[in-house]
Amino acid sequence: MAVTVATGAVKTKREGTFGYLLPALLLIAFFFIVPVLMLLVRSVLEPEPGLQNYAVLLGSTTYLRVFLNTFMVAGVVTLVSIVIGYPVAWLLAIMPERWSRIVLAIIILSMWTNLLARTYAWMVLLQRTGVVNKTLMGLGLIDQPLALVNNLVGVTIGMTYIMLPFVILPLMGVIRAIDPAILRAAALCGAGRLQCFWRVLLPLSLPGIAAGALMVFVMSLGYFVTPALLGGTANMMLAELVAQFVQSLVNWGMGGAAALVLLVVTLALYAVQLRYFNPARGT
Amino acid sequence: MTQPFLSIRGIRKTYGTVTAVKSVGMDIAEGEFMTFLGPSGSGKSTTLYILAGFQDPTDGDILLKGRSLLSTPSHKRNIGMVFQRYTLFPHLSVGENVAFPLRIRRRPQAEIAERVKAALKLVRLEGFEDRMPANMSGGQQQRVALARALVYNPPVLLMDEPLSALDKKLREEIQFEIRRIHQETGVTILYVTHDQEEALRLSDRIAVFSQGEIDQIGTGPELYSNPATRFVAGFIGDSNFLDATVVASHAGKAKLSLGDGAVVEDVPLHGASTASGKASLMLRPERLSLSRASVPSGIAVTVRDITFLGNNVEVSTATSAGADLSVRLPFGHEAISSLARGEKAWLTFDTASAHAFA
Repeated sequence: MAVTVATGAVKTKREGTFGYLLPALLLIAFFFIVPVLMLLVRSVLEPEPGLQNYAVLLGSTTYLRVFLNTFMVAGVVTLVSIVIGYPVAWLLAIMPERWSRIVLAIIILSMWTNLLARTYAWMVLLQRTGVVNKTLMGLGLIDQPLALVNNLVGVTIGMTYIMLPFVILPLMGVIRAIDPAILRAAALCGAGRLQCFWRVLLPLSLPGIAAGALMVFVMSLGYFVTPALLGGTANMMLAELVAQFVQSLVNWGMGGAAALVLLVVTLALYAVQLRYFNPARGT
Repeated sequence: MTQPFLSIRGIRKTYGTVTAVKSVGMDIAEGEFMTFLGPSGSGKSTTLYILAGFQDPTDGDILLKGRSLLSTPSHKRNIGMVFQRYTLFPHLSVGENVAFPLRIRRRPQAEIAERVKAALKLVRLEGFEDRMPANMSGGQQQRVALARALVYNPPVLLMDEPLSALDKKLREEIQFEIRRIHQETGVTILYVTHDQEEALRLSDRIAVFSQGEIDQIGTGPELYSNPATRFVAGFIGDSNFLDATVVASHAGKAKLSLGDGAVVEDVPLHGASTASGKASLMLRPERLSLSRASVPSGIAVTVRDITFLGNNVEVSTATSAGADLSVRLPFGHEAISSLARGEKAWLTFDTASAHAFA
């Protein structure tokens, strides 16, 4: 008898929890899962049933270059974001609270500023007669203006800037959680600054690096605005390709296939992160 | 003349207008177990951190074997330290934690393996090499931290309240281990604690810190039987304090009036007596005798409470002036059989065991 009662109680509790999740689940189901499934269906049904959309997408060098561009830009943006973001996150973590609040506010304010405005600002800065080129030429470092927009260099610069907060914020949280006494212990064990960093600080902040890197990489893979404005037509990225299929060519089959390839890659990366960098697993 | 092994000289540390350490100096012999004892904020931890190189003193110097340590950064001081909090590297196994200082020193692999094994044996954690720190108890983690701090044979080991996070029973067990390890390795230990019992149990000598200064340095028995200040008397062992007036003093002994006409003579007097003659008379609860018959030279008191403490019985009493005096007597002592609350009693003591602080 007692067992039955206990099971019943557990069941009720679970149903209760599920109830709270229901609105969010419905929202995701209707506005995410259903459209994705529809895309999947259209990618294998249009213009006629079969996998020919995927064959075209993965078989043509033009499209493969788009994939290559996308992964390369996302990879470089991720790498540069971490290299630039790590010292910032570390400083934020060790700064006195009143200073770190100000710096954090600046970082977050930049995130709240309109994305288009920020991207156009980069166009102005990076163009042939922009501030960057003029300064470099004025200093005599270059004779000819550098081509900084309408190519992947511009895309990388613009996207790195936009992605930085997504690296800094999780990293700062992880670094803040590291007990400074552990670093003191490392110092007394004989580790200099560099060894403290390589052997203790970096391994301990790895979950933050992984979280930030995944976020930036995945967001970069599907990014549209910045590549569309700062990139040239010659160096298309995946999101632009999807937009072109759907908007200009009205080819939902190819658009869906491209979007799904992107989704599969993203999910695979997420799975890798869960497997190797899940803090709950204690690694 | 042999130079002291470790010499702390006139250390002072200020933060802006706040003075954390006023003036701390002492010499420590090789192999000595020296404890810094004091309440929080007394400057004992700051002094230890200056030794570790985490902070620079405003003034003063620290000499190890005659050479100043101050210009050497922490990681080159070759000093071992165990911290109050758990500071094992969470991403490394126990074996790798202990090996860490040796890897930094680029010792050969075979030597590392051998020394890690020996260090873990020393703290009785043989075979725990592959455990992760997260899967160990607090006591075990502190033992590993001890092994990590000793594996490179540092000349000095600093310990900053390493047992304060552990429960009492475990604390006593590890205190015993620390004593054994001190005897086995002969390492010089500087130990910080606010627990007088821990200090007495572990140390060769104790430096009692109060408000950024050392009130007294001595062995446990010295501090207990001859405290230099009222603060030391209150911190080492239990004590009662009675207001008294110095009537006369000569050669470090005083004649005191306790009011009510009670007068005691030949009490050791510490500190320069003031014009008012006001002083504090310190009486150890275990050095007081209780008599139920009137004693002319005794202090008349009323029994307030009787507490059974196992092998001792504590009798709380109050003088007619309202001062509390507790008396500790062995269980079964005839003076306390059928003693009741509210009863009158007289306390007497050997004047040599009492101390007056002006």
